Amino acid sequence: MKWFAVALLFWAAPYTPQFHNIAASAGLTESIPNGGAKTKQFIIETTGSGVAFLDYDNDGFLDIFIASGEGGPSRLYHNDGKGHFTDVTAKMGLGESSGWAQGVCAGDYDNDGFTDLFVTYWGQNRLYRNAGGVHFEDVTERAGLKQDRTRYNSGCAFLDYNNDGHADLFVANYLKFDPKTTPKPGENAYCWYRGIPVNCGPRGLPFDRNILYRNNGNGTFTDVSDASGISKPDQNYSLGVLTGDFNNDGLVDVYVACDQTPSLLYINQGDGTFVEEALLRGVAFDENGKAMSGMGATAADYNGDGWLDIFRSNFSDERETLYRNRGRGEFDDSTVAAGMSVNTRYVGWGCGFFDFDNDGWVDLFLVNGHAFPEVDRLSIDIHFKDRAILYRNLGNGKFSDVSERAGPGILERHSARGAAFGDYDNDGLIEVLINNQNEPPSLLKQSTRPSNHWILLKLAGTRSNRSALGAKVRLTAGGRTQFAEVRSGGSYLSQSDLRLHFGLAAARSAERIEIDWPSGTRQVLRNIAGDRVVAVEEP
Amino acid sequence: MRAINSLTLLLWVPLMSGQSTADAIESFHRGQYAKAREMLEKIVAASPDNSVAKTFVALSRAATGSCDAAVSDLGQQFLNNADAALRRLAGIALLQCQLARNRMEEAWPVLAQLQKSFPEDADVLYETAKIHMKAWNDAVFQMYQKTPASFRVNQLSGEILEIQGRYQDAAAEYRKAIGKNPAALNLHYRLGRALLLESHQPVNLLEARKEFEAELVLNPSDAVAEYQIGQILVAEQNPSVAAHRFERAASLNPDFAEPLVALAKLKSEEKKYSDAVGLLERAVKLQPLSESAHYSLMIAYRNAGRMDDARREKEAFDKLNRLPEGEFSEFLKKLGEKAPKP
Repeated sequence: MKWFAVALLFWAAPYTPQFHNIAASAGLTESIPNGGAKTKQFIIETTGSGVAFLDYDNDGFLDIFIASGEGGPSRLYHNDGKGHFTDVTAKMGLGESSGWAQGVCAGDYDNDGFTDLFVTYWGQNRLYRNAGGVHFEDVTERAGLKQDRTRYNSGCAFLDYNNDGHADLFVANYLKFDPKTTPKPGENAYCWYRGIPVNCGPRGLPFDRNILYRNNGNGTFTDVSDASGISKPDQNYSLGVLTGDFNNDGLVDVYVACDQTPSLLYINQGDGTFVEEALLRGVAFDENGKAMSGMGATAADYNGDGWLDIFRSNFSDERETLYRNRGRGEFDDSTVAAGMSVNTRYVGWGCGFFDFDNDGWVDLFLVNGHAFPEVDRLSIDIHFKDRAILYRNLGNGKFSDVSERAGPGILERHSARGAAFGDYDNDGLIEVLINNQNEPPSLLKQSTRPSNHWILLKLAGTRSNRSALGAKVRLTAGGRTQFAEVRSGGSYLSQSDLRLHFGLAAARSAERIEIDWPSGTRQVLRNIAGDRVVAVEEP
Repeated sequence: MRAINSLTLLLWVPLMSGQSTADAIESFHRGQYAKAREMLEKIVAASPDNSVAKTFVALSRAATGSCDAAVSDLGQQFLNNADAALRRLAGIALLQCQLARNRMEEAWPVLAQLQKSFPEDADVLYETAKIHMKAWNDAVFQMYQKTPASFRVNQLSGEILEIQGRYQDAAAEYRKAIGKNPAALNLHYRLGRALLLESHQPVNLLEARKEFEAELVLNPSDAVAEYQIGQILVAEQNPSVAAHRFERAASLNPDFAEPLVALAKLKSEEKKYSDAVGLLERAVKLQPLSESAHYSLMIAYRNAGRMDDARREKEAFDKLNRLPEGEFSEFLKKLGEKAPKP
């Protein structure tokens, strides 16, 4: 037995996180309305809204924006740096933001050093220019972003698709919806779920097209949807938007999670146009060629091969989908191989890769909640309010579901939609902000901390767009290289911290940090000490 | 008899030779069946050769609940009337009368003739669905009444609950059925499938696998149970053992394409792309309409670097994956293209 005792000495149990919902103590107490809580008449009540982590006043601490459905304003909260958030919605000029807000994305579109906000609506989108961190100004009309009809805008992202140093804007559109003409629950075959009448759609409702706005560099945008090829796919119900250079050619591509229809992958051709190639590249369907009900999407290099992989959340009775990038932007559905095939009873929404234990391998989190409150009448194992899921990355291409032992915050049941990820207190551990339907948001924070080290990189473009959107970072620590990109949007209709977080495992510093800026500049930093936020400006 | 399409009857109004016949049929159309019947019976008494009036007499008798008095004439009109539209009306009314009289054995030949003569008629298809539903209901009622303790009652209950998405309840019924007849085929298989439909959590995978193994004890040549075990083993991260089960499933039933597709996915995971392509080409030959086989073959060709073949498969998949006409996709698309109202 001697060998066994020795082996035990060297075996350490993996770190177990304990996530708690600290929203109330942090000041996030306002309930966010989003349609019926017991029944829903229309699909607009089901899709929910996003959330954002952004540092609007450049004080070094992430603030919070929470998009709201009809019945209340979207809310902006200021982080005082001591763990408390104060509602500054009216003070910052956002008090008039009623309506059906859907998605939120952030980026410095005018390169003035302050992060701006874009909020999508069923109705009229709004661009809020950040005026020096002291006020947000609605510049939608002036910027040329006023729409000529009511649209069901969903996910959005700023991106510099032509690498001209100005952040452009992608806006997904879910479908064409008019409450006056949309059938009521039970009125046709598309208005039933397991024998109970529910709101109709998306099947049976007309498709719409996605939109790309080019930033003219003078505070205005031009709709280039047709010229760029973005508007060409017209048989998809688009929701979550995810940007990334999936084929590593130096040009940002766009992935769109689509509901009940094939998801889309727009490959940037480098000449101002995109070609939709999701099917052949393997990210339109599941492994059997079936269209899923895609909601949210996130990307990271989960297996450390230097290529961005994609995760998409789906509906109940479907698997979540993990697409492994096998190089050149071609993907294999690796959901089953990665050990993610067990959770089939959840409707997933917001999702994100983040390294909760700073071991250098990105883990995965997603929030859930059924679309139909009426499902609770069935008394089955599928619920309108459900818990979240946390997967630990085992570092060998596989994940382990640790939800049940990851703390009470994970196990709380909500009908969650948007989720954003960021380190709001700069302690090296990522927190998760969640928009719950008709409840206050959740703010999940770990009460324990791993012994591993970390680093947060805050990039600022000079020749590239100021938010550094599209910048690629290869960080080497302890002999292992990790890869990440700066992106706007993602998850489900949400905006995560624009800074890049890396777990360094046992290493106290990064040996090498290589940054490929969208402008083409490559910057290399060496021996950067960890456990701190490091600001890097493009040379 | 209200189901008789009144719009169809309208067509007959201008064709009537005598005004009184037209008036009677119009009364019928307005739902004044008793009045129409009285008028039409008088017309037929005066003019026995008026075949239109004769048909509508039978229809109005049926509509006023006198099916016994109507069936003979309806049967004659259905078989002999020279006019196809009148034959159709008489046939539908006759079928409805036989159902109302609970004469199923006499209803089936009428339905068969209607289906043969009017294969794409919505009313005929509707009546087809109705008669099958009634037959199903009658059979279930008899089963529950005459053999309430039979395992078949539990099996059928399980199948109905499965359709309703109540998988836990379905599993409970299958367990009761197995308790009553442990040697019956397919019960363990249905139970295993219900457990998988409920959830893919490890406990469900384990329980379902036990049930499929139990099915194989009863029927060692059950290729589908073998295949299901293979899928569970894949989910349990045991691909090498899963591969053996897929191979066995394929050997038990050489026409079964799914295990070939599953085996090909495992080969792809091992980067053995040419092996995967070979398996999937077999699968596509076996099931040319399988979206899954074509999709997997497209990906396998791509992974093997055979991009031209991948594109060809993509086209085949696109054709299969195109929305059926019933999706109204073009209609919906056009709706969406309407110019916005100012």
